Amino acid sequence: MSTVFPGVSSQQHASLRSRVWIALAGATLGCWSMWSFAETGLGVDSGRSTALTPLLGIADEGLDPRGSSWLRPTARRSPSGNLYQCPARSAETPDSADWNFSGVLRVGGVVNSGDEDNALRQRYVHWDSGLILGLLDISVVRPADGSYAQFRASRINEDDQYYQAVFGRAGAYKVQAFLRESPNILSDNAKSIWNGVGSNRLTLIDGLAPGASSPAQVAAASAAASNRMLSIRREKQGVEFNAYLSPQWTVFANVSDEQRRGERVFGGPFYFNYSASADGGVLETIKPVADSTINLKGGLRYAGNTWRAEFRYAGSFYRDRYTRFDYESPFSLYPFLPNAASAPVFQGQFAMEPDNNYHNLQASVTRRLPANGELSLTAGAGRMSQNDTLIAPVNCQGVFGVDANGSGQPEPDNPLLYSCANWNTPDSLSRRTADLRIDTSLIRAHVVLRPVDALSLRGDLSFNREDYRSTYLALNPLTGQYGYVTENGSQGSINPAAPSGAGFWDANLNPSVVTRIRSIPIDKQTTDLSLGGEWHVSKANALDLDMDFQRYEPTHRERSQLDDLRSKLTWINRSLDGLTLRSSYSHSSRSGDAYDYDPYVFAYSTSLPGYVVPPDGTPAYTVDAMRVYDLADRIQNKYTFTATVAPRHDMTVNATVRAERNGYAAVLGRQHSDTTGATLQWEWQPSPSTSASAYLGYDTSELVLANIGDQDAGSDPSLGGAAYPDDGRWWARDEQRTRSAGASFFHDFGKLRFDTHWNYLRARGTTRYQFVTASALAYFPDGTRVPGNEFPPLKYAVNSLSVGVSMPLGSRFALRIFDNVERGRVSDWHYLGFDANRVYDHRVYADGGPQSYNANLLGMLLSIAL
Amino acid sequence: MLRLVAWSALGLFCQSSLAQQGKQDFAAQLPASSLSGDDMQHSAERLLPAPGFANASVADNPQAVGAKPVGESTCIACHQLEADHFSHTLHALGLHAASKADPAIPVCEACHGPGSLHAKTPTTPGLIIAYTQHAGTPISTQTKTCLACHAGGAREQWVGSVHQRNDLSCSDCHNPMANFSGQGLLAKNTINDTCAQCHADVRLQFGKQSHMPLPEGQISCTDCHNPHGSANKTLLKTASVNETCYECHAEKRGPFLFEHAPVRENCLTCHSPHGSNQHALLVAPVPLLCQQCHTAQGHPNDLQSPLSLGNGPHPDERIMGRGCLTCHAQIHGSNAPSGPKFHE
Repeated sequence: MSTVFPGVSSQQHASLRSRVWIALAGATLGCWSMWSFAETGLGVDSGRSTALTPLLGIADEGLDPRGSSWLRPTARRSPSGNLYQCPARSAETPDSADWNFSGVLRVGGVVNSGDEDNALRQRYVHWDSGLILGLLDISVVRPADGSYAQFRASRINEDDQYYQAVFGRAGAYKVQAFLRESPNILSDNAKSIWNGVGSNRLTLIDGLAPGASSPAQVAAASAAASNRMLSIRREKQGVEFNAYLSPQWTVFANVSDEQRRGERVFGGPFYFNYSASADGGVLETIKPVADSTINLKGGLRYAGNTWRAEFRYAGSFYRDRYTRFDYESPFSLYPFLPNAASAPVFQGQFAMEPDNNYHNLQASVTRRLPANGELSLTAGAGRMSQNDTLIAPVNCQGVFGVDANGSGQPEPDNPLLYSCANWNTPDSLSRRTADLRIDTSLIRAHVVLRPVDALSLRGDLSFNREDYRSTYLALNPLTGQYGYVTENGSQGSINPAAPSGAGFWDANLNPSVVTRIRSIPIDKQTTDLSLGGEWHVSKANALDLDMDFQRYEPTHRERSQLDDLRSKLTWINRSLDGLTLRSSYSHSSRSGDAYDYDPYVFAYSTSLPGYVVPPDGTPAYTVDAMRVYDLADRIQNKYTFTATVAPRHDMTVNATVRAERNGYAAVLGRQHSDTTGATLQWEWQPSPSTSASAYLGYDTSELVLANIGDQDAGSDPSLGGAAYPDDGRWWARDEQRTRSAGASFFHDFGKLRFDTHWNYLRARGTTRYQFVTASALAYFPDGTRVPGNEFPPLKYAVNSLSVGVSMPLGSRFALRIFDNVERGRVSDWHYLGFDANRVYDHRVYADGGPQSYNANLLGMLLSIAL
Repeated sequence: MLRLVAWSALGLFCQSSLAQQGKQDFAAQLPASSLSGDDMQHSAERLLPAPGFANASVADNPQAVGAKPVGESTCIACHQLEADHFSHTLHALGLHAASKADPAIPVCEACHGPGSLHAKTPTTPGLIIAYTQHAGTPISTQTKTCLACHAGGAREQWVGSVHQRNDLSCSDCHNPMANFSGQGLLAKNTINDTCAQCHADVRLQFGKQSHMPLPEGQISCTDCHNPHGSANKTLLKTASVNETCYECHAEKRGPFLFEHAPVRENCLTCHSPHGSNQHALLVAPVPLLCQQCHTAQGHPNDLQSPLSLGNGPHPDERIMGRGCLTCHAQIHGSNAPSGPKFHE
């Protein structure tokens, strides 16, 4: 065992084995208790593989030299014109045995060199030098009754592997169990100034004092910290089952349990640093990921000649190991108020994602109608809920705020200093648990009629609704104050004069503070009516027209009604021999009711009876000309074109072009969003021993937005008004271009099978901007430095070449040697400068961003026919 | 094995001698079914029937009026290589077992319709239900034949679906005549390769800097989409985009004490699921992503420039690294009582 699974300790082996056996035992039990299976209509996990299976590990079987038919020398084509592959050589299966056995074992090793730990390259495939299990595939079938069983496994390392067992009887039942571990490597160059990475409590490393470290000390600690890898490993086990109860009735179910373990970069706010040098704190912390999700699905299905029906349940149960995540800030704070001192606030916190439950029941009935028609009715209801214990508004000890009189005590003469004890306890909450729920409902009707062969008509009507069933009121029963504590108490400790003060509203102390006092339930409902028709104009031409009207009605959003009218015309043409054309054009026009730029008044202290409008008026929530793009008026045009051509009997060319143009009626906000893409593929299959393919791809996207920098915290929301004068307006255009190319070639040189794959992708992003005056800018140019009009290009390029040779070694053995050389280049302007420094004044960054790499993977696999 | 050798010899013989010998005559010399007629038939009869194949019958071919079933052995007389490859599929396993339990259950003709007219004039298109280009069988007949056994379930919404309306046949994605894929009897080796036959542009997006692990084989197109049809937009398997995302990202489900409205509305407001050159599948670089909606007074609406980058003269946390998300880290929703602005 240890030779097959290098690097796994005996303890890990035991753990692994136990999970495998639990999964298999579950499968066995499931057989008797009617558990079931995943399919294209239900859930995820529709397939399992490792990077070895789809590319690097294949190509040692070879294709059947006899081809696919003795009646014609070349491969046939699918109705759309794509060449079918030639089947692989298949093992001879004696038909006299009760059980026919076949199997293959591919074991070997890889040598990973170059920038072997680079996170960009290793993101989802964790290559390690060492032994690998390319594939273990064992199958047995019993032709007498159609029974079969299969075990399949592949393993790159302990983070990247799967094991799968299936057994069943064709047309009767199928049971499947699996165990899969998959990596997600997020960073290989993270630096931490904290101990406890991976846990839910980060404490500063030795040499750094909470709330009392200088930027130089923090920078030195960060620079001295070694690079560490941040990753999340998913481990998933599942059992799936389906069975025919009769020719018409089937039962299906599946259950899976997924654990995630690891850590990722996160945040940590202690007020702005950009607006006050040597103040505040902006911390990129490292958050633990330790959770599990159980997914359940199951149902009963009837499929008769006249009626069909399905009753389905889906459930999900998410559990996070932690409720909270705490960290320490190394920096001291200073108040904007002169002759005062900030409280020593350095304890930060996050609430982890709450445990949640989800249930959904759905029933559908379909009846065949005259004129080759069908009528389907579906109804469903669901519930998402969570009742996690709420963390206190703040986790500081002592006091927070500004000590104006030097006493250090919260007292009437020191009104900006607050006792943590009034806010760091669950007693300060209006309720102890979240107690939140969203109920969902769904009704659908679908009808299709085909009065004549050449014409079919269809109609769909659907109604979806989500209802929030409770809201949270931010009222502190200990103080009678509404609101919360902003940014771990740091805002109140630095800038209590901000419009939102320390984050809470008090009818007597600060009746003009504008702060959130309740959650916002986002109920919504969608009604969709679609009518369409398909007309086969001739044997070679078909037209399809689809008209769709959607009404979206959210609550507590900028609009309460949004109507989208879409029409789509599709044309399919097969007039020319060997050519299939599909093209479509759709036009959509979206508009809605009056746009309210501030629909959230009820959720703010401005709605409280004792709220006092400040002398300069209540600050405008935002500028009234802004249109959030998910609710803005929009004209959308989409074009698609695909062509499949057979220039020769053994050759296929595919071409696709698509374009999408979105124009938004927004003076401020997103104005345009356009994408265009084109591909050209060529495939050649002259014989079972030779095949080749190549492709070219081009993809571009462009996004244009407009915004405006405000000049003061005024109450005038109008564009061009006092708060938002026109000279603060600015525009930005982001353009991304991606070019890709690749080629593959397979050929049998006698007994040697050669294969090579080349893939190249080059992306370049350009972000440009323009502005009316410098007052739009975050920083005014200082005379010697000008802001220019664009950011450095965002670059990403990957060039990858794989070469493999497979050769038989006798009748049962084959050897495959492969090599993959890959070069990646990346430059993301967000991380410029991070290679030299991760600490900028009171800002601390953990992740250094994606890095370029050169890497090589050399591998060898011995294939044994079992 | 002896039988296999015999069939192979017969197959070779078939090619050379069919011209001299009538196909029907030749077929009459073969066993009634490829695997029937031996001891295994008795053991099969003792077992429960396979309900999934119990109702299998000879497919209806409107273009071959008057055709009669001829049995698998007749088909094999000319199509032995196809039969050899087919024998390694789940369809073959089930149909053969069912046929042994009940000889009235057809094998080849369950999908291809009655073969007598085709056997007489094999080059006339349409006399046999065929699933390839230029074979003469209308696509509607092809799909109807498949749905005779596969109606309901994942195929419940096939009629009227975008793939049906684009005149695709089941055999554009599936090739049940051989075992090309590990499961699903696909036309290509993998689900993703099968979809990429027509959706190459989408497949290439998965090569961008941030992408979900589809090229690495950890997920497939059908984890999110049901190519057989769906009552939902873009063939999604769930009633909403977010429900699809929650299948793997259940921590984002909430509900949260403080919701971010566009997040609750649709994950695609900010993310491009098939790939992006930005971090984390984002549709635009931060902070511009956020500045498409946020103009509030204070800090969100300032235009940033390269001067604010880490190598610039005025480093600014609103654009460096993860930008806005460094402070508003709980952007998907916060369950902290002090999290209205997603700080905690």
